Amino acid sequence: MLLFGVALATRFYALDQPNSIVFDELHYGRYAGLYQKQTFFFDSHPPLGKQLLALAGYLGGFQGDFKFDKIGSSYNASVPVFAMRSVPALTGSLLIPLVYMIMLQLNYSQWTAALAGFLFLFDNALLTQSHYMLMEPILLFFAMSGVLCVLKFRALERSGNAQAHSYSLRWWGWLLSGAIFLTCALCVKYVGVYSYLLGLALVGHDFWEKVLGNLSLSKKQVFGHACARFFAFFMVPLMVYVGVFYIHLSTLVNAGPHDSAMSSAFQASLEGGLSSIVRGQPLEVVHGSQVTLRHAHGSPCWLHSHAANYPVKYADKRGSSHQQQVTCYVAKDINNWWIIKRPNRTDLAVAAPLDRISHGEEVQLVHGITGRNLNSHNVAAPASPTKQEVSCYVDHNVSMPAQDVWRVEITNREEIGDVWHALESMVRLIHVNTSVALAFSGRLLPEWGHNQHEIVGDVMVNQPNTIFNVEEHRYTRNEDEKDRQLELMTTDFIPLEPVVMGFWEKFFELQIRMLFISNENVQNHMYTSSPWEWLVLTRGIAYWVSPESNAQIHLLGNIFVWYSATVALGVYCSLLIFYLLRQRRQCYDIHEEAWNQFRTTGEVLLVGYVFHFLPYFFVDHTLFLHHYLPALAFKLLLNAALVEHLYYLTRLVFAKQFFNWMCILIVLTWMSGILMVFNKFLPLSYGLGPMNASQILDLKLRETWDFIVHKP
Amino acid sequence: MIATVATRFYKLDQPDHVCWDEAHFGKYANFYINRTFFFDVHPPLGKMLIGLFGYLDGYNGSFHFDKPGDKFEDHQYMGMRIGCAVMGALLVPLSFLTVWEMTFSLPASTLSGLLILLDHGMLTLNRFILLDPPMLFFISASVYTMVKFHNQRHRPFSLPWWLWLSSIGVMLSCSVAVKFVGIFVVIFVGFRTIADLWEILGDISRPVTYTVKHFMARALCLIVIPTLLYMGIFYVHLAVLNNSGPGDGFYSSAFQVGLKGNYLHDGSTPREVAYGAILTLKNSVTSGAYLHSHDHLYPEEIGGGQQQITTYAHKDENNQWHIKRHNKMPPSWNSTKPVDFVRHGDLLRLEHFVTGRNLHAHRVLAPITIKQFQVTGYGLDGVGDTNDIWRVEIEDGEQNQVLETMVHRFRLIHYNLGCALTCTKKKLPTWGFEQDEVTCNPNKRDPNAIWNIEENIFPRLPNVSFRSYEKNFFQRFIESHVVLINGNSALKPKEGEATSKPWMWPINLRGQFFSGGKLQVYLLGNPIIWWGNLVFMVFYIILWVSVGVREKRGVVMTPREIMLQNRALSACGWLWLGWLLHYLPFWGMTRVLYFHHYFPALLFSSMMTGILLDYAMESIPLSLPQKMFNSTYISILSGALVILFYSFYLFSPLVYGLVRYADSNSTMHHLHWLSTWEF
Repeated sequence: MLLFGVALATRFYALDQPNSIVFDELHYGRYAGLYQKQTFFFDSHPPLGKQLLALAGYLGGFQGDFKFDKIGSSYNASVPVFAMRSVPALTGSLLIPLVYMIMLQLNYSQWTAALAGFLFLFDNALLTQSHYMLMEPILLFFAMSGVLCVLKFRALERSGNAQAHSYSLRWWGWLLSGAIFLTCALCVKYVGVYSYLLGLALVGHDFWEKVLGNLSLSKKQVFGHACARFFAFFMVPLMVYVGVFYIHLSTLVNAGPHDSAMSSAFQASLEGGLSSIVRGQPLEVVHGSQVTLRHAHGSPCWLHSHAANYPVKYADKRGSSHQQQVTCYVAKDINNWWIIKRPNRTDLAVAAPLDRISHGEEVQLVHGITGRNLNSHNVAAPASPTKQEVSCYVDHNVSMPAQDVWRVEITNREEIGDVWHALESMVRLIHVNTSVALAFSGRLLPEWGHNQHEIVGDVMVNQPNTIFNVEEHRYTRNEDEKDRQLELMTTDFIPLEPVVMGFWEKFFELQIRMLFISNENVQNHMYTSSPWEWLVLTRGIAYWVSPESNAQIHLLGNIFVWYSATVALGVYCSLLIFYLLRQRRQCYDIHEEAWNQFRTTGEVLLVGYVFHFLPYFFVDHTLFLHHYLPALAFKLLLNAALVEHLYYLTRLVFAKQFFNWMCILIVLTWMSGILMVFNKFLPLSYGLGPMNASQILDLKLRETWDFIVHKP
Repeated sequence: MIATVATRFYKLDQPDHVCWDEAHFGKYANFYINRTFFFDVHPPLGKMLIGLFGYLDGYNGSFHFDKPGDKFEDHQYMGMRIGCAVMGALLVPLSFLTVWEMTFSLPASTLSGLLILLDHGMLTLNRFILLDPPMLFFISASVYTMVKFHNQRHRPFSLPWWLWLSSIGVMLSCSVAVKFVGIFVVIFVGFRTIADLWEILGDISRPVTYTVKHFMARALCLIVIPTLLYMGIFYVHLAVLNNSGPGDGFYSSAFQVGLKGNYLHDGSTPREVAYGAILTLKNSVTSGAYLHSHDHLYPEEIGGGQQQITTYAHKDENNQWHIKRHNKMPPSWNSTKPVDFVRHGDLLRLEHFVTGRNLHAHRVLAPITIKQFQVTGYGLDGVGDTNDIWRVEIEDGEQNQVLETMVHRFRLIHYNLGCALTCTKKKLPTWGFEQDEVTCNPNKRDPNAIWNIEENIFPRLPNVSFRSYEKNFFQRFIESHVVLINGNSALKPKEGEATSKPWMWPINLRGQFFSGGKLQVYLLGNPIIWWGNLVFMVFYIILWVSVGVREKRGVVMTPREIMLQNRALSACGWLWLGWLLHYLPFWGMTRVLYFHHYFPALLFSSMMTGILLDYAMESIPLSLPQKMFNSTYISILSGALVILFYSFYLFSPLVYGLVRYADSNSTMHHLHWLSTWEF
């Protein structure tokens, strides 16, 4: 209780200072603001944490009017900084009682549990992280609650009358709440999946040992237990996860800054943005349709042409057809308009009866502004010489006839039907003469192509880069070319009815884009670190620096705590190996009870640590120190557990009371050391100021810590 | 055996042109034969073997291996191909023997051998001049020696026991010395060894010293011997390649000194750097270039007006810089004042010798890397401003340490901005003559910010031959590894390039073209075998779980069932682990990956399929009436064999080269089972 009080105090102390954007508040704060505006945004992390921030902001009266432009710019009065920061601060403080209870649950004494809480409380990294609008404290809170519930559940399973407890209210309560908390962790950040897996492993292991191995249970009972656990650990998480996204998608109904990351249909289902343009446009593409064609997967761009030809010779001395360039352009532009036409018809105006285009039919595409036809021929493409050039046909009288007929292939016609629909139909354009598909090659054209994306004819028809869809669409009204151009330039459409897209469709599309589209990385960021460096705290992260003085916030762990935890990890592993080897030789050095405790600690804490740490060696993206915090949490718990075990060992080896006191004395010295270091680095956690350069340099215990010194 | 030889050697001389990576490995063989130094991302043993095969066959290294598709004409290329094919052919008997040692079941071993034999992927890969045949051979041999050794466990410390143990070590080091993926088989053997030791430790009837003895024996044969052998291979590699060649630039200046014909081999400079000297500065990273400037300005639109600074890979008088203290002119070369050395932490200016401009940086965005500052040449005849001042920081340097040519690596930190002179390795556009961009980088820890001095002209100090900087074998050994590892991780897929992803491999989604043109060769696995492997892997998991559950639930089984299960499960457990070890790590790799990286894993999964198929044949009839026993057994076996052979026959044109037909109705058209197969 005392610890919790201190925790609240430290976490909430000067919570609204500094009154400016600290580090990733830039993102999370902005997202919270977008929630207030109900504006859609795209982020590769799941939404729960941001929703909580947004909720706090809403309760604090945040209107979402603040523009989060760059780190360090100060908040104005409209941002309820205290309210929003109180979410991580509260969850961060709750961590301390949580770890206390976890340690008790692992059969450790109250003193050890308090020690664990102490370590959490006086770690500067956890404090800093809990002090600002960041995701890690929320993630840790859910993960630790989940672990606690699972441990409580285990205790029921392992107690003497497990039978009696089965399916009791408490049994269900711990099981379900464990699953729910762990899923929430997953919904804050995808790394929460490791906590979930830890929970799953613990429950699965118990099932294997205690239920399956319990021969007094009938087959039917075993099956029942399996079903209950399956329900709790698969069905419930799925519901929670989908539910979180349901809230996410049903809240964010307005078009926003990241629309273009999504498909046209998705965008059209949002208020404003694309939907205001495409609303009321005709659905079926017909002879005479004016369309923009969007590259449907990957980076968004639109089929484009402009009044400039391919250069006669490229830099590498290959020749081109010198016909008009066709590119994929990432911005909306008047030159993105194309007119669909039947090869045998010359009129363009759409008149009843509508001449619908279906799967397998042949069309020509006329570029709206220049009036030239989309063409391809056996000439190497500008940037990908193995592919075929696509151009707008210009007759240079060099016996190169126009090959401008394309066959329409609708890839999703099972769902949409054979007729070409705007937005919905995913279309592949196959060049009739050479059977190549119109494709986005992923390469950029050089300066002569205005650095737009290259469009090629690709023999590999069956790939996502060949799929396009019609985004904007309207019918041609005028026969005359001049009028048509004028029409392209001026028309605006009157909205009629919105496009509706079901929740599931949106959910799956969002999932796929979140999981598979690699978000661009901050390459070469100054404060990146590698997993090995986390063990010894080689680098921190500069979060914020005061414009007036050298006062700054720098994410840095309590170096004393981190080092002792790393040492503890090594000692624990060595002891574990030692005991295992000795037991293999039938030597049992410690009491069975102590061994069981030691083993369970390993099962939960060591495995948890490995789960949260090891995967980082295999990931590709830029890593920062704060990625280590979940693993650190398990490591700190292990550290506390090890202290009690060592105390037990001293009592076992030395009979004299003197050594016990020695042991306790050492622990107390160690703790006061931690307090001192904590206090020394406190200014960096809170951003207390003003500080001068020598004060900052005084804190620079390691050469690799790059604090910012910009004022004398 | 005969079948193996027949399939491997049939039409080996076709296609008679360079196929795919033969262009690389053939070239490397040339380098060995001509003893010129080169750089490749793989360790040397495989290429040495190929070179040796060629040499034995009388090939003189005269063919250029320029690009895939070149005709061999009358060059002796068959030696290299035959050498590789022999190593590849040995895989079949090796896997037969491995499974035999694991299960002592003739059908299982035969099936495993057949699965390797009849796989087109294995066949194709083993017919060309590639690193894979030797690598697969050594991996397979490591596994074989491992199981063979395991079966010697009942007569420890006997002669065969020692022989097999040390041959594991030899095979392991050879695997790693061909390609670094050999490390996975080392881990695999490591696990097996730990398991063995665990068993021995558990034998209470023996003293602990007995286990220690076992441990020492293994440490000697599996750690000491392989390490020595591995270093020996590198020793041969570095000793054979003593002529300067295309690989020089990847290594440090001090390394290049040891190569005959390299301009550094015979040169000489003063050792210490003093103020007033004329220097060339080389970027210390792999294939770093010289700091360069020339009489051209940055274009107006990117903060122009001052002279360009770039890096340039070739020797040129524009690479020369005059080093001065920041506040005074150095004494002239014929003065008699004491020589003023450059020391760690000194503030200095660098004046471009030809144009007289100072190396300068200021708060203007760099031309390409816009997060960093622009570096320019500024001032007139060496007179500039305070933005020309740089601090020299020797890596791990101490106060007052004198900067030395070649030996020291250092950073140049801008005095005013606190940023480090860096080569970003990005090419400037035509206005910068496509030389590499130089910036001032606020991230001082960027590895590209490290430089060393190569040329040092200062007549007042005695010249020391470059040879005195020459590295000894261990330094060279370590440096080659650093370069190899950097080279490997630098193999990133290019933007927009279609890459092969690990998930595509086991399902045989997409192959690899070996040779285009008239006679196509396409690397693709036998779909029956590959998909079968997947089915049996799932089957193994089901079997494992069901056996586990049955044990837990105390279900009684007949002794024969238990025997069959144990045999299959223990052998397959290890093979499964082997498969995982050779497959999973690729998921975490960021370098560019190819389809053929899956083949070591395939070896394991094919062997496993053989064993499990045998298990299925033995155990399914057990549940049937007695009289159907034999007939079921035979029908499953013959069914499996017929399918295997037929599928091999069906796809075999892929291996031996298929003649390309223009129209889509060619005979091969019906083989397009998956639309992603591109032949």
